Amino acid sequence: MIYTLGIDIGSTTSKCVILQDGKDILGTSIFTGGTGTSSPIKAMETVLSETGITKDRLSAIVATGYGRTTFTQAQSQMSELSCHAKGVHHVFPLAKTIIDIGGQDAKVINLSDEGKMANFVMNDKCAAGTGRFLDVMANIFQLTIDQLETEAFKAEKAVKISNTCTVFAESEVISQLASGENISNVIAGICQSVAGRVAALVRRTSFQEDVCMSGGVAKNGAVRKAMEKELGVSIKYSPMAQYMGALGAAIYAYDKTLKERMNSNE
Amino acid sequence: MEKINQLLEEFRNIAENPSKQLEKFLKQGKKVIACAPVYTPEEIIHSMGLIPMGVWGADMEIKEAKSYFPAFICSIAQSILEQGQKGYFDGISAIVIPSLCDSLKCLGENWKYAVPNIPFIPMTYPQNRKNEVGIEFTKASYKRVIKDLERITGQKFSEESLAKSNKIYNEHNEVMRQISDVLVDYPFITASQRNDIFKSAYLMEKENHTSLVKSLIEELKKMPKEENKKIKVITSGILADSKNLLEIFEENNLQIVGDDIAHESRQYRVDIKNDGNALDGLALKFSEMDNCSVLFDVDKKRADYIVNMAKVKNAAGVLMIMTKFCDPEEFDYAIIKKACEEAKIPCIPIEVDRQMVNYEQAKTIVQTFVENI
Repeated sequence: MIYTLGIDIGSTTSKCVILQDGKDILGTSIFTGGTGTSSPIKAMETVLSETGITKDRLSAIVATGYGRTTFTQAQSQMSELSCHAKGVHHVFPLAKTIIDIGGQDAKVINLSDEGKMANFVMNDKCAAGTGRFLDVMANIFQLTIDQLETEAFKAEKAVKISNTCTVFAESEVISQLASGENISNVIAGICQSVAGRVAALVRRTSFQEDVCMSGGVAKNGAVRKAMEKELGVSIKYSPMAQYMGALGAAIYAYDKTLKERMNSNE
Repeated sequence: MEKINQLLEEFRNIAENPSKQLEKFLKQGKKVIACAPVYTPEEIIHSMGLIPMGVWGADMEIKEAKSYFPAFICSIAQSILEQGQKGYFDGISAIVIPSLCDSLKCLGENWKYAVPNIPFIPMTYPQNRKNEVGIEFTKASYKRVIKDLERITGQKFSEESLAKSNKIYNEHNEVMRQISDVLVDYPFITASQRNDIFKSAYLMEKENHTSLVKSLIEELKKMPKEENKKIKVITSGILADSKNLLEIFEENNLQIVGDDIAHESRQYRVDIKNDGNALDGLALKFSEMDNCSVLFDVDKKRADYIVNMAKVKNAAGVLMIMTKFCDPEEFDYAIIKKACEEAKIPCIPIEVDRQMVNYEQAKTIVQTFVENI
């Protein structure tokens, strides 16, 4: 048995996946708090304790995400784009386009038929179209991110949020509420706004189906639905969406182990 | 090797200390003319016994310039104005600012009010530079620059002197093209050291820079060529002098084997023909320049130029260093990307800004490129 661990240290959360023989997921963990916090260590300790795998039985640890370079427990690190591509291809072998919306950025990855990365784009340095935008909006309504989804699905229509800037959009939302607009309709408009912004990024690439979403924002069904409408395609989604980076890192750790064993046998 | 290290250190010292260079020239009693991007007729300035000094801004926090510029404008232009307002250029006799993009036009107009102690000399280029009228227009603009320089500095212009300067600049062009090629065989020279060689050219008298670069070429040629295990790339864009960005290239084992950077090789592609009137030759040179986002070209041949460079240099990809809010580069990017895709050459955009402090996104992009080639 080869056990490997992938850890994705993002801007707002830390995620871990333990894999057996490069394919079977033995356990996952997630903690709020990303790079610069104690969450990466907590996430790793938790997944180890829940799976009963001790650290010395791990063949390799690969870190990814914005905190990848400072996580000293990992033997190597890979970019989150490479890891999301790897993770998504493992779960959806037919995926050609990945839309990964994380806490502070959004990325679109095109995959070849063999699942190799063919192209990628990242968003401008701007909170609009990222998880941070939803966090700010959830804060206005004093709702959790999960509750945003529930509220958005109650909407009769999506109110247009015209400002792309997060700060101005916040004022615009407050103005909409002050003018008596229905909360659910405003929240649906917010989800629509995130989807519209990221869909523009998707259209910069030669995107093809299957299209799938990864990253924390993918959990929000209202954003997924708005994205489907924007792009005119159906979006594949896995409950593992938020763990795709960590999963990819764990697969890379497995590949690395195999390569090292082959080299030592030679 | 010791001599090579000494030379590289000299380039670095000069590139990192423009203020010291300015101070040195002023102490020698020389008059210095600041030359803003992208192309200024340095040859004219040089021929009049003045020191042309390139000013391409600096990585810094921009505060004062925001009184004159909106936030969404090129940070190179903004930081040049900021430096002017903060006194970095005190002692300089004048600044020549060409009209090659909208941001530079605004820089010139703002300069008059924001930095009144340093006179602004406009250099207005024609959009259609290749036909007879365009060449005449360029020449007339040069004459305007000469008139302003004579009035401000008291120095005199002569055709004979310009002819000599043209030769000096042609020789410099040649050594800069040579060094770019020679460096390919010596990958131990880092991206940052390569940039020092190019950047220092703006801060030295050209004949001295030529001599220093020639020495480096000679010393390098004495060494056996190195086995190259680095990943070869082409860079393109207006400016790529950020040490943080260049360090990321080094961390990821990249070697710049050719560039289409305005601040670097774009300056040295075309020589002045010395077979007639020197000022005509200079105007003709501008008409012959191409493959640059700020030089009008309806056919956008720059895209093929970059693809060809990547093929000839056997590069694994093209890194597009996109200065944030640079419209001309953004217009070209879409065409270059398409040409690279058709040629199956990875073309990776990396957005940079003079005010950038966090390079995480650039790091992720470069690492992803390396992991997937």
